[in-house]
Amino acid sequence: MGKLDGKVACITGGTRSIGRGMADAFLAEGAKVVVNGRDEAKGQQCLAEMNAGDNAAFFAGDSSKQDAVEGLIDFTIERYGQLDICCLNSGGVLMTAPVAQMTDEEWQLEVDWNLNHVFWGMRRALQHMIPRESGRVIVTSSVEGKLGKPGIPGYAATKHAVNGLVKAAAHEVGTLGITVNAILPGIIETDIVRATGPDSAVAMGLGTYEALIEAFSSESALKRPNTVEEVAAVAVLLASDAAKNMTGCMFPVDGGTMPY
Amino acid sequence: MGLLDGRVACITGGTRGIGLAIAKQFLDEGASVVVNGRDESKAERTLAELGAGDRVAYIAGDVKQREVCEAIVDGTVDRFGRIDILVANAGGSSGNAPVADLTDEAMQDALVWNFWHTFWTMRRAFHYMIPQQWGRVMSISSVEGKVGKPGLSIYVVSKHAINGLTKSAAHEVGTLGITVNALCPGAIETDTMIEQGPPAAESMGITYEGLLDMFAQESAIKRLCDVEDVAAVATLLASDAGGGITGSLISIDGGTAPY
Repeated sequence: MGKLDGKVACITGGTRSIGRGMADAFLAEGAKVVVNGRDEAKGQQCLAEMNAGDNAAFFAGDSSKQDAVEGLIDFTIERYGQLDICCLNSGGVLMTAPVAQMTDEEWQLEVDWNLNHVFWGMRRALQHMIPRESGRVIVTSSVEGKLGKPGIPGYAATKHAVNGLVKAAAHEVGTLGITVNAILPGIIETDIVRATGPDSAVAMGLGTYEALIEAFSSESALKRPNTVEEVAAVAVLLASDAAKNMTGCMFPVDGGTMPY
Repeated sequence: MGLLDGRVACITGGTRGIGLAIAKQFLDEGASVVVNGRDESKAERTLAELGAGDRVAYIAGDVKQREVCEAIVDGTVDRFGRIDILVANAGGSSGNAPVADLTDEAMQDALVWNFWHTFWTMRRAFHYMIPQQWGRVMSISSVEGKVGKPGLSIYVVSKHAINGLTKSAAHEVGTLGITVNALCPGAIETDTMIEQGPPAAESMGITYEGLLDMFAQESAIKRLCDVEDVAAVATLLASDAGGGITGSLISIDGGTAPY
């Protein structure tokens, strides 16, 4: 018997890395899962790899766009009849830069991708969950939701913002059987970090990708990056009945990096 | 197959409340468990309730004494050959009063009960965990380890101290396969709360029911938490999947703590 038997989840950015780890873990615990990603081909590849038959589906869409995020929520409910667990996991940076060199376009992208996407998804999901008096909203935030590194101002600002959104929403729906939590991972060598890390390293004045990973790791007590599986295990806990009384929580998975 | 197969855990104050709930979950996940309590006469009842045969043992002793704390850890190793998981769970406070009226004895008692006991058991456990390069230490702190209520300063101070110890120790042993975390539950109506709540409420100038309601109203869920909530997080932290989480002060409080 799984911890999530009969539950239905959707995950933005769910075809790879952290989101994929959540999807795999949720499926293993008996949930049905809709994963979202921009690329149809990657989505089909993801479904093939997960090999979960009718228990998994893919919804293509760019999570920095409102219609795509709301479409994912609606599609999940249409496909499986309900939505119990909404994981707003997608996000990142594209062409990050220090504030002095930051473009309006990049800033807007990061606000849409990291913050507005969470707001759009959470609002739509809560509209479904409130009448049912049951639900779990899980947001993938970051250690940068509590800290602030030079060179990634948009990421730090938007991750701080989603933490505030999580706390406020948790209090709004706390008596309605719905929990709203954030997971704050430290650095994980995901595909997106490997893709954008080299440019970020330059923007942060660290030079190389390796130096970037080392800079994050050395701040932790463990002196190593975290892993997708470590985040997925926390997501399963927060999604399960056992976590019914955990809400508004900033759950760290950061090897001891954050001071609070 | 359990998440804690083959692991050995030691839980102070494990005969009831949060400690007992953690013991049950650890046993369900395959661990061997030592539970501690002050009262030898409770051993039989506790062991019967846990019903895990040779995988569970009881060590009597009052954690307010250093030699007892060390004996609990040593006794775990004597019984099961190792210690992988320490849960410093015992604690409480008596003689609560506003600071202006607080006695030295009440402050000292709370510090020994909550903070020194955590330090003594943690230090001893590290002596076994560091050579084996694997360990999980967790203390049962409190939402009061992050915030502060009037009239409860002895409890608040000692739980804040545990949180500081947790952060420092986590960095000391972070590369040695050992994690150190604090769980910060909100109010739970355990036996300890039923015993200690009424006098604590009196020190705050409210009724016991008023105290429980105050805790509930501060949360997002407007109710108290359950011991099983804490046990679920303890199990995650004790498992291999929890190996990336250390130095953390994890709130299990229905959305009460502000950070």
